[in-house]
Amino acid sequence: MPSFINVRTGWHVTDSQKTVMVVDDASLVRLYYRTALEGAGFRVEEALNGIEALEKLLSIPVDLLIVDVNMPQMDGFTFLDVLRQKTGPLASVPALVTSTESAEADFAAARNAGANYYLVKPIEPQTLVEFASMFCGIVR
Amino acid sequence: MTELPALTEEEFRRLCEYLYRRTGMVFTEAKRYYVERRVIERISATGSGSFASYFGRLRSDVQNEIELFVNAFTVNETYFYREEHQLECLTSDLLNQRVLDKRTGDALRIWSAPCSTGEEPYSLAIWLLENWPRVDEYEIEIIGSDIDTEVLELARAGIFGKRALMRLSPYLIGKYFESLSEESWRILQDLRDSVRFSPVNLVESAETRAHGQFDVIFCRNVLIYFDDAARRVAAENLYEALLPGGFICLGHTESMSRISPLFEVRRFPDAIVYQRPDGVARDR
Repeated sequence: MPSFINVRTGWHVTDSQKTVMVVDDASLVRLYYRTALEGAGFRVEEALNGIEALEKLLSIPVDLLIVDVNMPQMDGFTFLDVLRQKTGPLASVPALVTSTESAEADFAAARNAGANYYLVKPIEPQTLVEFASMFCGIVR
Repeated sequence: MTELPALTEEEFRRLCEYLYRRTGMVFTEAKRYYVERRVIERISATGSGSFASYFGRLRSDVQNEIELFVNAFTVNETYFYREEHQLECLTSDLLNQRVLDKRTGDALRIWSAPCSTGEEPYSLAIWLLENWPRVDEYEIEIIGSDIDTEVLELARAGIFGKRALMRLSPYLIGKYFESLSEESWRILQDLRDSVRFSPVNLVESAETRAHGQFDVIFCRNVLIYFDDAARRVAAENLYEALLPGGFICLGHTESMSRISPLFEVRRFPDAIVYQRPDGVARDR
């Protein structure tokens, strides 16, 4: 199993590299999350909306989805709803929903759509890495 | 190449008048060499042979000559993180004030005009990623505009040389650029996607209006090329392009108070900026 020290964070990465897909329509946000996650040793894939994510997931196996709610063409809830109805292991990829909305109704909607957890934006890079690690089973 | 004769007094005057009407930029006798050199280049590039024939071509806009002519007169020298203290001010004060009246997820619009080859709007994007932890909390829109359409193409391509990157640390270069050769770097696709580019002439109100209203405008080192009348028009257009309470940052040698009484001067620890009054009293 590969083992290395990430020079940027100083963390000792002992797991084989995990892949996270960031699904968000804002390129600045994708880059923000990507740099945080890559800095912690994750491999990062990106999708602009639910449709692109569903397409990419057909060929790219991922360990975790980080999903924004408000996106054009297919929003995060619809995406998760479709994903959870699929057959096979794809349907059970853990999903962390990120949103600027923080009402109880939004949390409930995310749970109903099949989210495993919900983080309210703004999300500190450190927090994002902690949750991603937890879902990917990495001990830091 | 045949040496073309210098412009006569009359030709020079007509040309400067034309340039002023099209762009608001003022060139006087003191800039004769600068103007002549560019016109002679255009006469030669178009194979016009004489000033009279070139001027005819220009006025009839044969093969987009007006655009090519204007492009030849713009100065496009800039670099990443220029006037960093204003960037400091943006993230420590301006944005935090702007979001007071916003809901999370609302749009936060920043305009870099003129943006030249893109160093300023891309600097804004990098600066925000590095220094503003609320970057994912709002729909941030960064728009770069310039009158020169050739520089906008270069900006979209996002390829820069050593000089443009001289103020960036190797850490930032490694993080946000991919190296193409020893002398050139391309900014990451996500950053290229996060900035939109569009043409604008700041003295044309219809063009500035088409861009909507902004929370913060960076308009550095362009008003110095305008005369008083054009400056006032540009200032009014910029005022209209700001949301009430929005801020505008000028170059460090420029002063809005000298141009227009519309704005309020605001002194922050890192910079002096101008604000469109929002009509709401706040603790200052």
